[in-house]
Amino acid sequence: MTYLLRRLAVFPLVLIGVSIVVFVAIRMVPGDAITAMLGTEAGLLTPAQREALSVYFGIDQPWFVQYGRWLAGLLHGNLGISSTYGKPVLEIILERFPLTLELALLSMLIALVVGVPAGVFAATHNEKFSGLGVRVAAMIGQSTPNFVLALLIIYTLSAGFGVLPAMGEFSPLWQDPLRNLGQLILPAITLGFAFAASVTRISRSAMLDVLSDDYVRTARSKGVSARGVIWRHALPNALIPVVTLSGIEFGYLLGGAVIVEQIYALPGLGRLVLDAILQRDYALVQGAVLFIAFNFMIVNLLVDLAYVALDPRIRLGEQ
Amino acid sequence: MVQHLTRKLLSGMALPGIALAAMLGTVAVPVQANAATLHMAWSQDATGLDPHKQTAFSSLRLLELIYEPLVRVDASLQIVPAIATSWQFSQDGKELTFKLDPKAKYHNGAAVTSADVKASFERIPDEKTGAAARANFLSIASIDTPDPVTVVFHLSQPDVPILTAMSDVNAAIVPAGEITAGSVGTKAIGSGPFKLDKWDPNAREVLSANKDWAGGATGVDGIEISVLPDETAILAAMRTKQIEFALLNDPLVATLVPQEASLQLNRVPVLAYHVLQLNPSRKPMTELKVRQAISCAIDRQEVLDTASLGEGKVTGPLTIPSLATDPSQLFCYKRDVEKAKQLMSEAGYADGFSATVIGATGEPPTAAAEAQVIQSQLAEIGVKLDIKMMELNVYVDAWLKGDFDMAIALNGGRADPYTMYNRYWTKAGNLQKVANYIDDTLDSQMQQGRTETDPAKRKAIFAEFEKHLAEVSPWIWLYTSYSYTAQQKNIAGFVPTPTGTLFSLSKVTIQQ
Amino acid sequence: MRMLRAIFAHPSGRIGGFIVGLYLLLAVLGLLGLTPHNPLMQYRVDRLHAPDGTYWMGTDLFGRDVASRLMMGIGQSFTVAFFSVAFAALAGTVLGLAAAWFGRRWDGIVMRVMDVLLAFPAILLALLIVAVAGPGTWTSIVAIAIVYTPIFTRVVRGPALSLKAREFVDAARTFGSSSSYILTRHLLLNLVAPLTVQITLALAWALLTEAGLSFLGLGTQPPAASLGLMLSDSRNLMETAPWLMIFPGLAIMISILGFNLLGDALRDIFDPRMRRAIA
Repeated sequence: MTYLLRRLAVFPLVLIGVSIVVFVAIRMVPGDAITAMLGTEAGLLTPAQREALSVYFGIDQPWFVQYGRWLAGLLHGNLGISSTYGKPVLEIILERFPLTLELALLSMLIALVVGVPAGVFAATHNEKFSGLGVRVAAMIGQSTPNFVLALLIIYTLSAGFGVLPAMGEFSPLWQDPLRNLGQLILPAITLGFAFAASVTRISRSAMLDVLSDDYVRTARSKGVSARGVIWRHALPNALIPVVTLSGIEFGYLLGGAVIVEQIYALPGLGRLVLDAILQRDYALVQGAVLFIAFNFMIVNLLVDLAYVALDPRIRLGEQ
Repeated sequence: MVQHLTRKLLSGMALPGIALAAMLGTVAVPVQANAATLHMAWSQDATGLDPHKQTAFSSLRLLELIYEPLVRVDASLQIVPAIATSWQFSQDGKELTFKLDPKAKYHNGAAVTSADVKASFERIPDEKTGAAARANFLSIASIDTPDPVTVVFHLSQPDVPILTAMSDVNAAIVPAGEITAGSVGTKAIGSGPFKLDKWDPNAREVLSANKDWAGGATGVDGIEISVLPDETAILAAMRTKQIEFALLNDPLVATLVPQEASLQLNRVPVLAYHVLQLNPSRKPMTELKVRQAISCAIDRQEVLDTASLGEGKVTGPLTIPSLATDPSQLFCYKRDVEKAKQLMSEAGYADGFSATVIGATGEPPTAAAEAQVIQSQLAEIGVKLDIKMMELNVYVDAWLKGDFDMAIALNGGRADPYTMYNRYWTKAGNLQKVANYIDDTLDSQMQQGRTETDPAKRKAIFAEFEKHLAEVSPWIWLYTSYSYTAQQKNIAGFVPTPTGTLFSLSKVTIQQ
Repeated sequence: MRMLRAIFAHPSGRIGGFIVGLYLLLAVLGLLGLTPHNPLMQYRVDRLHAPDGTYWMGTDLFGRDVASRLMMGIGQSFTVAFFSVAFAALAGTVLGLAAAWFGRRWDGIVMRVMDVLLAFPAILLALLIVAVAGPGTWTSIVAIAIVYTPIFTRVVRGPALSLKAREFVDAARTFGSSSSYILTRHLLLNLVAPLTVQITLALAWALLTEAGLSFLGLGTQPPAASLGLMLSDSRNLMETAPWLMIFPGLAIMISILGFNLLGDALRDIFDPRMRRAIA
């Protein structure tokens, strides 16, 4: 309990750190909301026009004044108004979040369903050709940049088979589950591919570790069948690193998958932040990055708790 | 607990396989095209809804469907009626009178009146508005509205190009009430063929037909625009018939469209031009001979052939077809490396020099390729170019400050050469600090062109202007490319125009 | 030398070592410009030429030889990957050791800063760094290094903490060894295994991150080549000239395969439990 509280107490500190970094960094990048809107035509503005637009976008004050204002707003649960959407930042983020969450969950599901059995197989067939085959497949999976995979999938499906998930308007899960899954399954496979490969690799090596442990040998010598040893005794212990890896990877996925969202035209968090950066929508960048960082920390905390739950040898609070 | 979890995990394994197959099954069903809704896609979304403030290509294309200016230009760049049915310059060219269409109505049902015109043209020049097009309307001294359908503009000096400037959606007429309420950018109330029902920035727009549109009935009941950031994905979506109409930027993707039996590629030469901007305020581009040497060393056709797969036409400074000179008549439009080398040594740079060229990533998509071809061509006369590709806004920032040796740019064109170039090539031009070159000849030619009302004399003035500009070579004009739209073959009635407008979508129909 | 022999005794080490060695050779040749053609030379009559006897892997949009550019690209990508991982490993090791050794306050400060970096979405963090500093080889290196520093810090801090708690450090301490001696000798020795494994994995990530940055136009600047840039430049030519995607794609895959195999072998060699299992 105290461990949990101590971990939670750190959250605001890290979040403030994140917010300052993002606040300063985004303002150090040349260009602002005005050049983002007008492009080179911004050069036609008179100084008075520029001033009027700066006030309109709320970028007329020095950065620390802007930060103070923003922080004050934050304390009232107000993340500011996005300059491109003209809506409260939090509202936009919450609109985009379900997709990102669903995509992350789906990818993780694919990764675990494919990765864990593959890893176990590779471990139990360690010295054999088939085991090596699984490992090589996993390594290829891990080494394919996801934009290559996404483009190949889209091209093969559309040119070869004349099918493609519905691009454009995205249907949330609760409105049209079938269409929703149709839209998300390919991106999830794209993301899950490399993810599954890492799961395979880590579960293989964890499995090998466990199989060489004494108690497994003991179980085996006591006449427990090979299959029983693997599934009942070895796998549960080998799952610990798998949980850690999946958790961390899941935490990353909750931050959005910029490139995959871009290619599949999904309105997720990754594209939201990228577009916000490109359009110099300061409030949106700040809000979204903060939101992502917060989620990441929560997921990490949960991973640590799961870790403890899985392995009774580790005591809470011990450093 | 662990074992429980494991068993659950394992028993779940068979299921997803089936689920996966089922889901992919749903993938296979192409979205049925609603008979009356046009499904459209583009890779870059509009950036805002205030017609007086927006300048981005996509924003203009969207807003042209929602708002109307007083007049429009057609596919041959002639001025045609929009909200105004007729217009007349006074003898001295200082008074411009418009008669409005009494049928013109806003999306909310209110009539478009002369008061709205007056309010709109008072809003644009107001510095508080921040309208980029302000510079085009500074000659407006006062506006009279003798009755609800008549507007008289009093100009401080004869200003022929103002009529073309008024054809731009940047000079759209918005309701006076919306201006007072300060809600022009938020509600998007115009008098155009479509009204905006929903805008989800960077994702999609939903437009529905304006039943009261003065221009008559539209061919479709609505348009749904999806933002698909990757153009390869747009092409894929068109192959599977999800998308019926699309805007394409990248010639590498556009040239794949004709290979599909069911698709049609529309391409039209546009007024925008690809250019290598030299910065004549920086050494050694300060030297006329160095700039000319660069012009002679560049093979424009080869830049076009390589970077754009030959999709375009080599151009001089003027891109308006009715005014443009045959490029082969212009200075050094035929590559001449010997002459270039000689010019370099005459300028004292026989050994060449080093410089940096900047470009924006993906804007245009051919920028990096153009820079690389030019780099290799200029290497032949000893000019060592360093390429720096930047994110668009970073580039714009450097460009506006004139902070570059050379820049690869795709600059917008206008239907009138004065409106197009006064910002760069007049002494008072707002972008003189970017162009960094002006001489008396250019300035006086521009002033003459502005006030001359006789079309033949005007053409002669601008021909001289173009010849002179190519000779002093502050910039190296390269080529004009095409604006591409791709469509399913059952879409009828789209007329591409050099301004890139999608206004004719108002008359497009979907054949069954 | 003993290390090399151990690697070659290990089956995946042999393959991995061979692949990585081959790439290193190609990288060096590419960096020295010892390529079949000049990788920057534009043979414009032969634009988008399919692979044949002259151009083994075809030519690109400009008529440049893809095989030569691939060698140049391997050189560039490996330079970025090696330097960024080296910086990240170095910074991470120093920070992780400092955090573990000096305890409490230092630990708190260092780990919170790492949390801040870690909580940032990686590609966005890299993107912001590149946007602020302007694109270029060194910016890519620094950006990728910063992104991966927290991971190394964590990798080092964990074992360092548990080693610190173990008796042999206490013992060494009571025998009067200076603390810096303890640090270097005992801790580093025990950190070699996790670090080596992490480094080989990070090299693979770094290659992919560079590819991602190039996809967004923020990585290697033209006309230089990197595997990622070649791959992302090929995307709109995928149908017209598939060889532009196939060869750099394979090159990335095989190199990462090599790093991973080598990493696996190293882990087996360093991990005493594994040694026992093999024996």
